Amino acid sequence: MRNDALERDFDRLLAANGPALARLARSYTNTISDRDDLLQEIALAAWQALRRFRGECSERTFLFRIAHNRAIAHLARARSQFAETGLEADLPAPGPDPESELSQEQRSNRLRRAVQRLPVPYREVITLALEDLDYAEIAAVLGTSESNVGARLTRARRMLRGSLEEKK
Amino acid sequence: MSVDAELENWRRDWQAADAVPLDLRKSVERQTRLMRLGLLADALVTAAMGGGTSWWAVSSRQADVALLSVATWVFLAVAWAFGVAVNAGRWEPSALDSKAFLDLSISRCRARLATVKFGAGLAVCEFVFGLVWVYRHSPERPPVLMWLFFSSLPIDFVWVFAAGICALLVWYRRKKKAELDYLLQVRQESA
Repeated sequence: MRNDALERDFDRLLAANGPALARLARSYTNTISDRDDLLQEIALAAWQALRRFRGECSERTFLFRIAHNRAIAHLARARSQFAETGLEADLPAPGPDPESELSQEQRSNRLRRAVQRLPVPYREVITLALEDLDYAEIAAVLGTSESNVGARLTRARRMLRGSLEEKK
Repeated sequence: MSVDAELENWRRDWQAADAVPLDLRKSVERQTRLMRLGLLADALVTAAMGGGTSWWAVSSRQADVALLSVATWVFLAVAWAFGVAVNAGRWEPSALDSKAFLDLSISRCRARLATVKFGAGLAVCEFVFGLVWVYRHSPERPPVLMWLFFSSLPIDFVWVFAAGICALLVWYRRKKKAELDYLLQVRQESA
């Protein structure tokens, strides 16, 4: 693929999936600068991988697979740094919400924090499911079977429901 | 709530998280349209003033008119150079999320404030040059102060025009400063 065509494809891909990638990155990071770093890593990895993309799967699956892999690598790196420095992660710890009627923004934030608290195997499937990926696409992104995705998603949803009810 | 309705609700809440608020997006789009119109207006002013003085210089064959034409082109070139520099990288957001739109709005606000400062300086230079040029071409040359304030209606009109421009710049600067303060506060709260 020629460079200018490649650049056009890359821009289109990022423009179409930018907000989804930002949400995915946010669910694996605790600060805005970390999220931006991760987004940069994802964009770089996508640019490098785009040359080798031959349409074996949908572009969205392709991009989410890269994003997911980079996010897991980022998480592993952050954990090793955490272990080395002993610093506490800057994880937001919200108190109980006094209002029963939450605004859209509050609901979004509450859901994001609940997702961030899930163990990684469940966070992986729920973040992709929340981006409207179906079982087959999630399985392709994670490199696992659809039945495994179904089982993990059921458990992830139960944990998420529990976490959200607990915080009400 | 059914299981699927629950997932749909979560999806809606999840995907709303980084969606760009409609008012912010509209404001950025409106600014972009205004920037394009500004560019068109600049091109028209350049053609009218630059072309007009050049035509006058050629048709009159006078050295002073040629000087006026050269000075006009210099002022236009300086204004264009500043305009291009100040708008560079500010035509569109770097990403399609709220943060990028907010950053762009802040950056554009700062650019407009810099433009006010530059515009005021350039206007003073043009004003002084214009007055000196007209004074040198006056058939009668009364003392400068008398000529500046009491000589003719056109000169009085120039002063009124300058005062109007000055008031407009002050008003616009205050407006943009207030907008910038608000946007910085929004960014701080959302960080």
